[in-house]
Amino acid sequence: MSLLQVDDLHAGVDGQAILKGLTLRMDAGEVHALMGPNGSGKSTLANVLAGRPGYEVTSGRLSFKGRPLDQEAPEVRAQAGLFMAFQYPVEIPGVSNMEFLKAAQDSHRKANGLGPESPVAFMQRVRTLTEGLALNPEFLKRGVNEGFSGGEKKRNEILQMLLLEPTLAVLDETDSGLDIDAMQTVASGVNRFRSANNGVLLITHYQRLLNHVVPDFVHVLADGRIVESGGKELAHALEERGYAWLTA
Amino acid sequence: MADGLAALPAPNWLGEAGLARCRRALDSRLTRETWKYSPLRKVTQALLDAPQTHAPPFADAPEQVRMRRFSALATPPAFKVSLDRYPLAGIAGAVAGDGWLVKVVETPDAPLRLQPAAPGVAAPVLLEVAAGCRVEIEEAGAGLSSFAARVVLLSLAAEAEVCWSRADLGAAAHGWSLLSAQLERNAVLTFNHQSLAEAFQRLDLCVALDGIGAQFNGTGAALAGTGAHLDLQVVVEHRGPHTVSRIKQHNLAAGKARCTFNGRIHIHPHACGADADLSNRNLALTANAEINTKPELEIYNDDVRCAHGATVGRLDDDGLFYLQSRGLTASAAQRLLAIGFLRSGLQGPFAKQAARAFVTQLSAANTG
Repeated sequence: MSLLQVDDLHAGVDGQAILKGLTLRMDAGEVHALMGPNGSGKSTLANVLAGRPGYEVTSGRLSFKGRPLDQEAPEVRAQAGLFMAFQYPVEIPGVSNMEFLKAAQDSHRKANGLGPESPVAFMQRVRTLTEGLALNPEFLKRGVNEGFSGGEKKRNEILQMLLLEPTLAVLDETDSGLDIDAMQTVASGVNRFRSANNGVLLITHYQRLLNHVVPDFVHVLADGRIVESGGKELAHALEERGYAWLTA
Repeated sequence: MADGLAALPAPNWLGEAGLARCRRALDSRLTRETWKYSPLRKVTQALLDAPQTHAPPFADAPEQVRMRRFSALATPPAFKVSLDRYPLAGIAGAVAGDGWLVKVVETPDAPLRLQPAAPGVAAPVLLEVAAGCRVEIEEAGAGLSSFAARVVLLSLAAEAEVCWSRADLGAAAHGWSLLSAQLERNAVLTFNHQSLAEAFQRLDLCVALDGIGAQFNGTGAALAGTGAHLDLQVVVEHRGPHTVSRIKQHNLAAGKARCTFNGRIHIHPHACGADADLSNRNLALTANAEINTKPELEIYNDDVRCAHGATVGRLDDDGLFYLQSRGLTASAAQRLLAIGFLRSGLQGPFAKQAARAFVTQLSAANTG
């Protein structure tokens, strides 16, 4: 059984078709990179997978661990192990990052029939993860993403991924807006996360991130469909030649 | 006119003429305008029908605080604010009969705790803080289900500082209160207010920044639940030069609550260099909740800095999706966003208690 199976997916927003027959299969233990020009539908795929309201699947099949996803609420998908790192993480004033992380973890544990982790063990774990991402522990007390720099927001997304331990992580342009040091930190977080039991779908514009997180597969998305798939060497070819030779 | 108003006797400290002015002012255009969203006649009647309470405003007052009844004073107390402007305060005073003159002559060692309002009309309090004194005042509502009214007229001498924290967290509490403050040179008043309403609550807060450099900081958060009628009226008069005011009020209306905020900043001609900022944010959790907000600026000096803003909206869809994408149910996500919104308006010693009360209320009502 595949971790993620997308068959001939057609989807869009506000009646506008964006994904036009996308097919993708991912198994546990794999890292897939999804690349493509602006407007090709990369972020739409991420949002469709996460169940964002307003994104409508018009035809095709979408399943996660063998379970159809189309009708599932976003929280059900998340509790089942699907995680999306946002391209633009949302600020939530008045809710501390620590409180948010605890609520997120509690909801996952509850869905799996577990009670909340002891506050001491939880805080210890969060602090360790925070240090690993070179984040100041003080940022746990601040409002979620409130006043965070672009790099802090993206590292916060990775922190959530590491904490929640999903089986499929979809990283929507997590590398955008990061300086080299921040990108290395984020990449090392992703590398720490990847294992034989989970999968990562890396959505990116640039080959740069793939120097640090080496993908097993690279796909090129154009006009709502995957037009080319290959190994990591495809990313190098794209870096040299651009997308035009594939999308013409 | 409410029943019994014409026959209401005037206490000596108010005088027949003073009470007559209050009666007339009750029917003025200004009064009617400020009571547009609340039932003035009903509240006046409630005042007239309510019992009087004469308990001292501060129990176990320290030696730095001196309290005397108006009736025990050799001469009537001198009000720095004309009661004509707040006619209901005059009516409440007449109903109560007596009042309390409280003088803070030195900085107390600990916060002063204002006695919770008892059912009925409390004797008005004239609270004078001497120059340079610093006072913290804590006022926790009793959460009574019967009507309670209180009037406090506060004056801060030069360089005095008062930090007043108020929590009305008993959902059943209903009533009306007025805090009128007058500040001299470089005096500072900080007022933190948190309210959890399920019934009628009205607060009139009137601040006169008379002295040069006087400053007012007001922060509040209110959760108006089903059946609540919450009416907050804030007026800041910048009369002196270089006076500063900061007002931030967050209101959240659930169920069929009716929530009103009227914030008026008045910059007088002599208030050059005045600096005012007023922000009122409102969230409606349901389609049946009603929100009225009216920030007003009245400016008669060119050399000032003023900003005001009011927003009315629903919970942020992006925020909801973000939380749901992390596994929180829709209702848990709504609750967390709501509490975050309210927390942003919480400050002072009651902030944690208020946050807990808001969480409990939101969870119990399953407003999310």
